Amino acid sequence: MRAFLRRNLLVFFKDRAAVFFSLLSSLIILGLYILFLGNVIISDFEDKIPNAHEIMTNWIMAGLLAASTATTTLGGLGVMIGDKAKKIDRDLYVSPISRRKLALGYVLNAMIIGYILTFITFVFVEIYIVLSGGSLISLTKLLEVMALILLATVSNTAMVFFITSFFSSENAFATVSTVIGTLIGFLTGIYIPIGQLPESIQWIVRLFPPSYAAVLLRQALMADPMAAGMADLPAEYVEGFKEALGIVLKFGETEASKIFSIAVLLVSAAVFFLLAVLVLSRKKKE
Amino acid sequence: MNHIIEVEDLRKSYGSVVAVADISFYVEAGGLFAFLGPNGAGKTTTINVICTFLKPDAGRVSVNGYLLGRDDNAIRKSIGVVFQDNLLDNLLTVEENLRCRGALYGLSGKALTEAVKRAMAEVEITDLAKRPYGKLSGGQRRRCDIARALVNTPEILFLDEPTTGLDPQTRKLVWEIIRKLQREAGVTVFLTTHYMEEAADADYVIVIDNGKIAAKGRPTDLRERYAKDKLSLVYSNPEAVLAGLSALNIPHTKLAGRIIIPIKNTLDALPLIERFRPNISGFEVMLGTMDDAFIGITGKELRQ
Repeated sequence: MRAFLRRNLLVFFKDRAAVFFSLLSSLIILGLYILFLGNVIISDFEDKIPNAHEIMTNWIMAGLLAASTATTTLGGLGVMIGDKAKKIDRDLYVSPISRRKLALGYVLNAMIIGYILTFITFVFVEIYIVLSGGSLISLTKLLEVMALILLATVSNTAMVFFITSFFSSENAFATVSTVIGTLIGFLTGIYIPIGQLPESIQWIVRLFPPSYAAVLLRQALMADPMAAGMADLPAEYVEGFKEALGIVLKFGETEASKIFSIAVLLVSAAVFFLLAVLVLSRKKKE
Repeated sequence: MNHIIEVEDLRKSYGSVVAVADISFYVEAGGLFAFLGPNGAGKTTTINVICTFLKPDAGRVSVNGYLLGRDDNAIRKSIGVVFQDNLLDNLLTVEENLRCRGALYGLSGKALTEAVKRAMAEVEITDLAKRPYGKLSGGQRRRCDIARALVNTPEILFLDEPTTGLDPQTRKLVWEIIRKLQREAGVTVFLTTHYMEEAADADYVIVIDNGKIAAKGRPTDLRERYAKDKLSLVYSNPEAVLAGLSALNIPHTKLAGRIIIPIKNTLDALPLIERFRPNISGFEVMLGTMDDAFIGITGKELRQ
């Protein structure tokens, strides 16, 4: 299985275009923020918060990282779709390695690729934050973010794996990738803060597991800048700020705790993996 | 001789289309066995079933003493398969490809390196080791595919139309490699083809058509049984020859400048030549070919 995993990684990373385009979807969000979105969102808070720019940069970057764990994982699963489309799977099936191990090889491949590429994105993000006058992330926060990226990658791989288990053509997969890449930005409240969405869409955000990855990452990345710039503001204002930007998700009056968010990610990972296995084993064995 | 593959009443349908209808045959160890038939006859389906890739609807198949459906992994370990399509990774080098696939058989470290080296030497691609598979020519790729099938030192090598789509020279080279493997390395070769000349070179041929076995035997036997020898007379006085043949009630066909008469064996040509000698300017006696045998068996030409 390890050898098969190594092969999948080799196939992915040798395809420079695949690597580039997997990164591109994340970098586009970064570019959009730098060029347009940033100024629009920041202008709302500029007069009240002295370091609004730094806080909002960290906000968008947290969302960016959360989305990235889904889009880069998709790129990794492209290896599996490619094998199906090119019929390479036949060559694998006549080898004495079980189908379960092959599937595991694909999933781990997607996770590793997702983690590596998201981490690369994170490096770009930090470079931008520092260049735009913010401070570099502290070591403890760095470790926390790295652990959160891992959690988000596992959870999103499961979800994306489930979705791709229905497809076997490269065209269908490319379309699905585009759709997921676009939707995820809206459904996790990255392009537009959750507070500005209509109530019905807010519920979709709350029910969409990847949102919790974004929430956790926002909490981790924004804690320090918010402590520095918002300490003097009334608690009520801070609460509203957190809610409007999706730093916390609220069900009625109850706030989703950190543990709850982590649990949502883990449980959804387990559920989606089970569903994917179900779909794959239900497919008629020829 | 020992039967390394045994197939009994194998049946496989896709929906309502019957691809293989209750066929039975066996393959002797160490031989070169050819499955001959037009496209869509059921060759690939049969090979896919024997290679554990497709599940049969009914029938019993044993490969190298292992029962299909029960000892699939043991079968997979003892076979090598070359598919119609090129199924290695284009961006990886030949060596990387072979290492990756070899590892699927549990090979690692020195054993893997040795296996890859040996497989490459056997099909003479050692000098291509560092080149990306996708950048190779069709013939080179085909040889890599065969090397991939050999990486686990299989007892049986399956090849599904190994020479289709190759130029004549490369076809010959690939064929020679297959022959060499069978003769020198003692690998049992099971291949499908729709080329007559390849089937004619096999040790044993099964002609399959519409999912059924139409004929089987050694190529010489098939030729003898199903292909008729022919006498071709180049006439100088066509009326006299035609009248004479009609009077004797001998079936014949008239082509431009010549008359073709089917004969049982070549010696039967002599009295006819003697008889029409004044009216002909030349003659040719033609041995039946595998093409003729195929037409004799299936009643149709090979659909290409």
